[in-house]
Amino acid sequence: MADPLAAMAAALSIAGTGIATAWAQKVVGGATVGAMAEKPELFGRGLVLMALPETIVVFGLVLGLQLLSKVAGP
Amino acid sequence: MLSPERMARALIVGPREKLESVIGTLHDMKLIHLVDHEGEDDTFGIGKPLPPAAELSDSLLKLRSIANILAVKAPPKEIEAVRLDQLRERILSLELGITDEDAARKKAESLLGDLDRRIEELEPFAALGLPLSAYRGYETVAVVVGRVAREISEVDLGDVPAEIFQASGIVAVFTTKDSLDRLLHVLGQFGFAQIDIPAGEADPKELLDAALADREKWRTRLEEFRGRLETLREKYAAFVVAAEELLEVEVDKAEAPLRFAVSDHTFVIDGWVPEKRFHAIAFPLEAEGMYVESEHSQAEHEEPDPPVLLRNPKPAKPFEFLIHLYSTPSYRELDPTLFLFIAAPFFFGFMVGDVGYGALFMALGAFAIAKLKPTSIWFRLFFVTAVGGLWSVLLGLLVFGEAFGLPFHPAPGHLEELSWERFGIFVPMQAVIHKAFGIGDMIYLSILFAAFHLGFGYVFGFVNEMRHNKKYALAKLGWLACLFGLFTLLTFSLAIRPSPNRIALWVWDTPLGWFPRAIQVELSAFVGLKIPLASLILIFGAFLGLTESIIAPIEIASLLANVMSYARLAGIGIGKAAIAAAFNAAILEGFVLSGQIVLIIVGIVFLVLAQVLVFFLGWISAGIQALRLNYVEAFLKFYKGNGTPFRPFGARGTQEV
Repeated sequence: MADPLAAMAAALSIAGTGIATAWAQKVVGGATVGAMAEKPELFGRGLVLMALPETIVVFGLVLGLQLLSKVAGP
Repeated sequence: MLSPERMARALIVGPREKLESVIGTLHDMKLIHLVDHEGEDDTFGIGKPLPPAAELSDSLLKLRSIANILAVKAPPKEIEAVRLDQLRERILSLELGITDEDAARKKAESLLGDLDRRIEELEPFAALGLPLSAYRGYETVAVVVGRVAREISEVDLGDVPAEIFQASGIVAVFTTKDSLDRLLHVLGQFGFAQIDIPAGEADPKELLDAALADREKWRTRLEEFRGRLETLREKYAAFVVAAEELLEVEVDKAEAPLRFAVSDHTFVIDGWVPEKRFHAIAFPLEAEGMYVESEHSQAEHEEPDPPVLLRNPKPAKPFEFLIHLYSTPSYRELDPTLFLFIAAPFFFGFMVGDVGYGALFMALGAFAIAKLKPTSIWFRLFFVTAVGGLWSVLLGLLVFGEAFGLPFHPAPGHLEELSWERFGIFVPMQAVIHKAFGIGDMIYLSILFAAFHLGFGYVFGFVNEMRHNKKYALAKLGWLACLFGLFTLLTFSLAIRPSPNRIALWVWDTPLGWFPRAIQVELSAFVGLKIPLASLILIFGAFLGLTESIIAPIEIASLLANVMSYARLAGIGIGKAAIAAAFNAAILEGFVLSGQIVLIIVGIVFLVLAQVLVFFLGWISAGIQALRLNYVEAFLKFYKGNGTPFRPFGARGTQEV
C-alpha cells in the first residue's frame, strides 16, 4: 500500500458523505411523506427533492475513487 | 410522437328536450373532455341534474353502505347482469335485511367491549378474595387498592398503621383516614398504581364468573351474526359490484347537466375532442339535429390550455405513467416519454450490466405481456423493467461479459478469479470492460452519457422555448455550449494524463479530432493542468443564460455537479457487481466447490438466496437511480409539466380513446 493516509481519506470521504446524505434524506423524506399525505400529486416533486442529496454521496464516491487510484499508483 | 394529441374545441348546441339523449351518446363515445360552464347570465345558467338524479344518488349511497357492511372488496369472478328498473327495489330490500343484521352485530360488539372492561376491572378483586362490601362504608378507615411491582409487608410501611391483603401483583391496604397521605407516599416508592373499586356489594369472584359466562354467550352470538353476514356477502357480492358500476354510470350521466350551460329552451356543451376524432363526434350528433361547432385551438395565452392526451408508439406507451407520475406535460411542450423510453432503460441496463439478471427482467416482462392486463400498474412496471433488462442483456453480453455476477472469463492478470470457465462453460465473448478493474472506464462512460443525456435535454429545452420565448431559447443554447465545454475539458484532462484513460483518449482523438486544441491556457495553480482555450470559451457560453436569470453564471458549478452525478452509473454498476461477486466467491469456493455432497446442497440453497437478494437490490437501486437521473438531472433542463390529463366524459379510471 503506497499511501495508507490516502486510503483512510477515501474511506472517510465515503463514510462522511454517506452519513450526510442519509441525514439529509431523513429530513426531506419525512417532510415529503407528510406533504404527499395531503397532496398525493406532489409525488414527482417529492421524489426530485428526495433524490437531490444523493449527489453528495456520489461526490464522495468520485473523490474516494480518485484517492484510491492514487493509492494503487497511476 | 413528441407532442401530445392535437385537440379541437367543440361546442354542442341543441334543444333542451334532446339533452338526455345527447348525454347518452357522448357518454358512450368517451371522446369529449368536458369544460365546466361557470357563472350565470340572463340567458344561460348552470343546468339542473336530470330528474332521476336524486333517486339514483340515494340508491348509490345505500348500495355503498351495503357494500361497506358486507365488506365487499375485490370484484367477484362472475358479474351478475342487473337491470336499472329493478335496481331500486332490490337495493331497498337488501338494505332492510342487512341493516338489522348489522345493528345486531354492532350491539353484540359493543356489549362484548363492555364485558371485557368489566372483567378486567373485577379480576384483581376476585384474586384478593374480599367481598366488595368490605372496601367501603367505614368512618375512620380508608382503603386503597392498586398494582405493585413486588410484594410488600407491614414492615415496608414503617410507622404507618395498616393491614395488607395481597394477591399476585395486587395489594389492598387498610389504614386510618389520617394516615392516608403518608401511606400513599410510602407506597409510591414501590411503584404503586391505584385502581378504582368497582360498584356493588357481592363477592367479586361470583360477579367475575357471571361476566365470563356472559362474554362466552355473546361471543357465540357475534360469531352467528358474522356468519350470517358472510352468507349474505357470498350471495349478494356479484349483485352489489355490478349494481354499483351501473349506478355510477347513471349518476354520472344524470348529473352531467351541472357542467353545461342551459337556458329555457337550449343547452350548450363545451369541451375538448381529439382533432382527428372530431367527425366521429360531430356526425352522430348532427344526425340527431344538434349544432356542433369546432374551434381549433390557437396558441393564445389567455385561453386555458387544452387537456393532454399523450400519443406514443406502442412500446413506449407503458412509460407514460412514469411521466404522469412526475407531472403531466403541458399541451404546449414536447412530450418527454420517448426521451425517457430511451434513456432510463439504457441507464438501468448499464447499471445492471449482466446477462443473467437481464434475462430474468425480460422474463418478468414476458410474464406481464402474457398474463396481465395492459392497464394494470404491474404490467407497466414489469414492461418498463423488461426494456431495461433487454439493455442489460445486450451490455452484459457485448461489453461486460458477465452473467449472475460471474464473469465469462477471468480478467487478464487475475487468473485466480472465479469465472464460468471453472464450470466448463466457455462463452465466445470477451469482456470489453471488466467491471472490477475498469473503474476509470466506467467513470468516463458515465461522463459521456451525461453529456449526451443533458445535451438532448437542452435541445428539448431549446425547442420548447422557441415556441414560447426566444431569449430563453438562446439561454438553452448557451447552456448546451457550456455543457460541451465542460465535456471537452473533462475528456481532455483524462486523455492527456501520463496514464490516459483509453476511452477518453479515443474520444479526444477520433470523434473530437476536429476540436481546436492548439492554444492552451495555463491553470496550474487552480486545477494543476492546462486546458484548451476553446473549452474555456464554450464554458462561458453559460453567460447567454443571463437572458434567463441573473444568477446564471453561478449555475456552471451546478451543471458540473449534474455531470458528476452520473458517476452513480459507474458506482452502482460496480457496487452491484461487487456484491454479487463477493457472494459468489464466498459461497462457490466455501461450499459448492468443496466436493462434499452436504456442503454442495447447502451451498446451492445459499447461492439461490444470495442471487435473489442481488437481483432485487439491483432492480430497486438501478431502477430508482435510472429514473432519478431523468427526473432530476435531465427534466429540470427542459420540462415544466403541469398539464391537465385528458379525461373523456364516460371513461372510468384511466384514459381511453
